[in-house]
Amino acid sequence: MKQTLGTIFEAKNLTKRFGGLTAVNDVSFEIERGTMVGLIGPNGAGKTTLFNLISGFDNPSAGHIKFDGVDITGLKPFQVVERGLARTFQLVRPFRYLTLLENVTVPSLSPRGRAASESAGIDEYASTILSSVGLVDKARIPPVVLPHGDLRRLEIARALATNPQMLLLDEPFSGLAHEESANIGELTKNLNEEGVTIFVTGHVMRELMTLVPRVLAMHQGKLIADGTPKEVANNKIVLEAYLGRSEGYA
Amino acid sequence: MPKASKHFFEELAPATRRFRSWALTYRGLLTLLGLLGLILVPAIQKSEYWLGIFVLADIWVIYAASWDFLAGYVGQVSFGHAAFLGIGGYATAGLVRYFGQPWWVSVFAGAFVAVVLGLTVGVPCLRLKGPYLALGTLAFSLILNELFQSPALQPWLGASGGVSGVPPLSHDAVVEYLVVLAFMVASLVVMVSITNSRVGTVFRSIRDDETSAEASGINTTKYKLVAFMISAFFAGIAGSLFALHFRGVSPPVFGTLYSFQAIVMAALGGVATIFGSIGGAYLFTFLDTFLGPFAGLSVFVFAVVLLLVFRFASGGFMKPVVEWLKEFIDILRGK
Repeated sequence: MKQTLGTIFEAKNLTKRFGGLTAVNDVSFEIERGTMVGLIGPNGAGKTTLFNLISGFDNPSAGHIKFDGVDITGLKPFQVVERGLARTFQLVRPFRYLTLLENVTVPSLSPRGRAASESAGIDEYASTILSSVGLVDKARIPPVVLPHGDLRRLEIARALATNPQMLLLDEPFSGLAHEESANIGELTKNLNEEGVTIFVTGHVMRELMTLVPRVLAMHQGKLIADGTPKEVANNKIVLEAYLGRSEGYA
Repeated sequence: MPKASKHFFEELAPATRRFRSWALTYRGLLTLLGLLGLILVPAIQKSEYWLGIFVLADIWVIYAASWDFLAGYVGQVSFGHAAFLGIGGYATAGLVRYFGQPWWVSVFAGAFVAVVLGLTVGVPCLRLKGPYLALGTLAFSLILNELFQSPALQPWLGASGGVSGVPPLSHDAVVEYLVVLAFMVASLVVMVSITNSRVGTVFRSIRDDETSAEASGINTTKYKLVAFMISAFFAGIAGSLFALHFRGVSPPVFGTLYSFQAIVMAALGGVATIFGSIGGAYLFTFLDTFLGPFAGLSVFVFAVVLLLVFRFASGGFMKPVVEWLKEFIDILRGK
C-alpha cells in the first residue's frame, strides 16, 4: 500500500551553535516520501532545536535542508509551511481566545490551506479537519477548557489544515496518559497511511518504538544511531546515552 | 428597471431579515437605542458648547477604537498613536487652509497620509515585539513632535505655532455634530466588521500566539502591517476631524499626552471591545471637560476615577454596565 517515491527530506551537515554550546552538531539524514520516522534522545539532546531549524524558526549556523527537491534553508516559518512542511509544538500553543473551529480556520487561510479548501469552503474544510482528529463536537468552545490530550489533537489539526506533505510532530506523547498516547499514535498512523510523511520525536522510547519502522537517535547534538527500533534499542551508544556512562555509576 | 429593483430587494431580503433579528436582540436594541439617542441630541440641546463636547467625544471614540483595534485585536501595543492623529490633523489643516480643498476631501486625504505614515512606522517597528514595539512607536511620535516644531517649517506648517485659521467643517453646529457622528458610527461599523471577518480571525490569532500563527502558514508580518495601516487610517480620520473641530493643529498633538489618552480611553471602555471605546471616550471627554475648571484638583479626581475603574472593572466599565442594564430590563419585562 505504502509506496516510497524517493527522498522527500534531506538534512546535510546541519549545525546550530548557541554561543559555546553546539545544540545540533553536523547532523545529516534523509527521509523517504510517505514513511514514518522517529527521533529519540534524552532531554537536551537537540531534538527541538533540530525541529526549529527544519521548520524555519531558527537558522542553522551551517548546513543545508532540502525539502521536496528544493533548498529551504533560511526560509521563514510560513514559507516552509507553504512548501508543505508543517510542525506541532511540544508545549501546546493554541490560540487561547479563539474557538476550536477558528483555531483551525487560521491555517486553512494559509496558501496551501486555501487551495485545499477551495471546493468545500473554508468552514466546511476546517470542520472536516476537526472531525478527523475527533474534536468536531467541541468546535464552538475555546481551547482553555480542554484536557491536555485534546490540545495535542488540536495542535495536530492545526498543522493538518495547512495540507502538509510532511508533518513534524514534536513530542506528541509527552505528558499523556497511556490511553491518550495510544489514540494519538493511532491518529498518526492513519495520517501516514493517507500519505503524509511523518517525522516524530519522543524522549520516552516506548510509544515511538512500536509506532515507527525507523528511528534516529540523538545525543548531545549528534546523530548517534539510525535503524529499526530494535537495532537502535540495542545500540550500545544509545543505551549509554540513556542510562549514563557505566563508569559514571561506579 | 422595476424588474431590476425587485431583484435587488430580493437580494437584500436575507440581509434585512438578519438586521431585524439582530435589532431584536438585547445588544442590537441597545445599540439602536443608543444611536437614536445620539441622533436626537441636537433636538434637545442646540447650544454650540454642548454639541462641541459631543463632537469631541465622538472624535475620541474613533481614536480610541483605532488604538483598541490594533492592541486589543492584533496584540500590537502602540505608545505613539498620536503620530497618526497628528499627521492626519496636519494634512487636513494644511489642505483646507492652504489649498482650499473641501473638508471631506481633506479628511480622507488626512487618513491616507496617516496610512502612509503607518506603513513607514510599521515596516521598521513591526520587527520589534511587545515593549520594544511600544517604545519604537513612542519614539516615532516624539520625532514628529520635534520635527513639526522645527523653525524650518515656519512659513508653511507654522513651526511651534502650528496651523490655525482652518475653516470649520460647517458653520452650523448641528450639521457638524451629525457629520462627526456619522463618521464615528461608520468607523466603528467598519472596524467591528473587520474584526468579525476571516481576516479578523487571523488578526486575533496573531494576538493570541504569533509563533503559532506563523507555524500555521500565516505571513504574520504582512497581516500586522495591514492592521497597522487600518488603525492608522482611523486615527488619521480622528485627527482630521480634530483639526477641523478646533480649526487648527499644533505640534503638541504629537505629544505623549495624546498617545496615552488613546490607551486610557480604550482601557476605560474595555480592551478588545471596539464598542467599549464609546463608553471610554465619552467618560474621558466628560471628565476632562467638567473637571477642567478645577485645574490641579482635576488631575487628582481623574486619577482616582481611573484607579477605581481599573480596580473594580479591569476589563473596562462597559461590559458590567451593559450587563446590569440587561438585568434591569429583564426585571422590567418580568423575567
